[in-house]
Amino acid sequence: MLIDINASIGHWPFKQVKYNTCKTLLERMNRFGTEISVISNLNGIFYKNTQPANEELFDEIKSNKKYAGRFLPFGIINPIYAGWKHDLEICRDQFGMKGIRLYPLYHDYEMTDAALVELVKTARDSNMIVSFSLRMVDSRQRSWMDISQEWTLRDIITIIRAVPDGKYMILNIANNMRLSDEEKELLKSTDLVMDTSGREISNLGELIITYGKEKFAFGTHSPILDYAASLLRIETLRKSEASDEVRELIMSGNAQRLLGLS
Amino acid sequence: MPRVDRRKFFKDTAATTAGLMLTNNLVKNTDDHPVRPVNLMQDLMKYRKIDAHAHIGFNEGDTEKLLDFADRLGMDKMCISRPVTNFSGNEPEGPEQVIKNNNLIIEALKKYPDRFIGYLTLNPRYQKESLEEFNRCVDQGLTGYKGYTQVKINDPLYFPLIEKFIDHKMIIFMHAFTQLGMAGYRMKYDIGRDEHCSVPEDFVDISKRYPEGIFQFAHIGGGGDWEYQCKALKDSTNVYVDTSGSNNEENIIDFAIKYLGEDRLLFGTDSSFYQGVGKILSANLTDIQKKKIFSDNYVNLLKRLGRNVN
Repeated sequence: MLIDINASIGHWPFKQVKYNTCKTLLERMNRFGTEISVISNLNGIFYKNTQPANEELFDEIKSNKKYAGRFLPFGIINPIYAGWKHDLEICRDQFGMKGIRLYPLYHDYEMTDAALVELVKTARDSNMIVSFSLRMVDSRQRSWMDISQEWTLRDIITIIRAVPDGKYMILNIANNMRLSDEEKELLKSTDLVMDTSGREISNLGELIITYGKEKFAFGTHSPILDYAASLLRIETLRKSEASDEVRELIMSGNAQRLLGLS
Repeated sequence: MPRVDRRKFFKDTAATTAGLMLTNNLVKNTDDHPVRPVNLMQDLMKYRKIDAHAHIGFNEGDTEKLLDFADRLGMDKMCISRPVTNFSGNEPEGPEQVIKNNNLIIEALKKYPDRFIGYLTLNPRYQKESLEEFNRCVDQGLTGYKGYTQVKINDPLYFPLIEKFIDHKMIIFMHAFTQLGMAGYRMKYDIGRDEHCSVPEDFVDISKRYPEGIFQFAHIGGGGDWEYQCKALKDSTNVYVDTSGSNNEENIIDFAIKYLGEDRLLFGTDSSFYQGVGKILSANLTDIQKKKIFSDNYVNLLKRLGRNVN
């Protein structure tokens, strides 16, 4: 079984993207053998008030019975915008969302912002997963209207340190993973997974040794990144690097555990 | 971990997404659309691959690392080079370093003749030494030239060297870029790039001056604006484009085919192995198109140059 923890629908305003609807993403999933995708709506990155994006996502998944069971929606919440607590409740209670994705760089707040810490604690108390991407696109070829900053893995440590008993997904690890020994231990002791879509996941076999077999999960960063590279990182692991059991964890087991799926 | 029963899993998953008002009927319908069995590894290993943009000599042990990734990903041959670079600001770029780098490639070719295709490098700021180094290396079995950012590809300093490369049927392969600011467009953005880096317009210019030359524009996935690059190079039919680089955006190959056609694209990694292969396997290509990009276009390029091809 294959579960993609990092896919999206919606528009990227600076460049045309393909496969960015439930219909076209489902075709992609069927081509590559993905059974479930965790998705959010890219539009929410660009709306100041993100809730309409979550409503769009919910409506699209509801629009076709084929989508049932194939998509798990995550909301996008902006904690510096009015009404976010109410938005989060709706995402959780009415839309059935098991997690959220946050975009501090796009929504213009710091990792140390008290509103972010409050949001992550609130999500934790609702048993919801909080996701961060180290970047959405390669900033070297960004639009003049897009942000120029990207994160490293260390940037995520700030919020994990503030809420160490939260549940996290760290997505698109495109930049360096250097951490101090203390930071590494914090990461290892936290209930989180890192997805396989980022370019820094160049030697998954070694990373499994460093961080543990429970810490990685298949994720594509679709529709922005190509669908196959993240899967190849798992498929080309040698038996000596990952047993069938470990592969199964990365392909779906770790995601199932974090998402609370049986 | 035990394998999960798919029917049971979907029922459980659907039950958790309570807000989506799922019914048993919907779950049943999902099961009526089973996921196709997929064997990505089979697809991966089906194609012969020539990596048109590979390097050694940047880090200790990277030759073995390259061969290891090549074996994992079914890459038969790699076109290796070691241009002189100065990432830290303190690295030598002069003739002595050029000789060291070329020797490294020549030695690797001798050690792995079945896996590597070798490329010469030069620093054209040193004209006399560059011509001497070319003459020293010309009979060492090198197939192409790889330049970096010391001099733009259309700078007159390159002209006598390009004429040598053409005479000796060599591919003229240059580092290239395009983004906001220096080494790109909209120059008001200062992003700290080298002003001598070649941009697509420089390739358009030089390929017109030397229509008999075969040029390779480096890595459309190398972080530059790939839409800009493909559009700018559309009509330069003697400029081939390699698909390497760490940026593996989903539409990059489909877009490149739309503008450049399926015969001018060369598969490459530039040490971004998974992205290099993934972006091609992921694209909407026919079997023949994948075959062309992974290897046939490179072989045909050698034929176009008049080289003997095994």
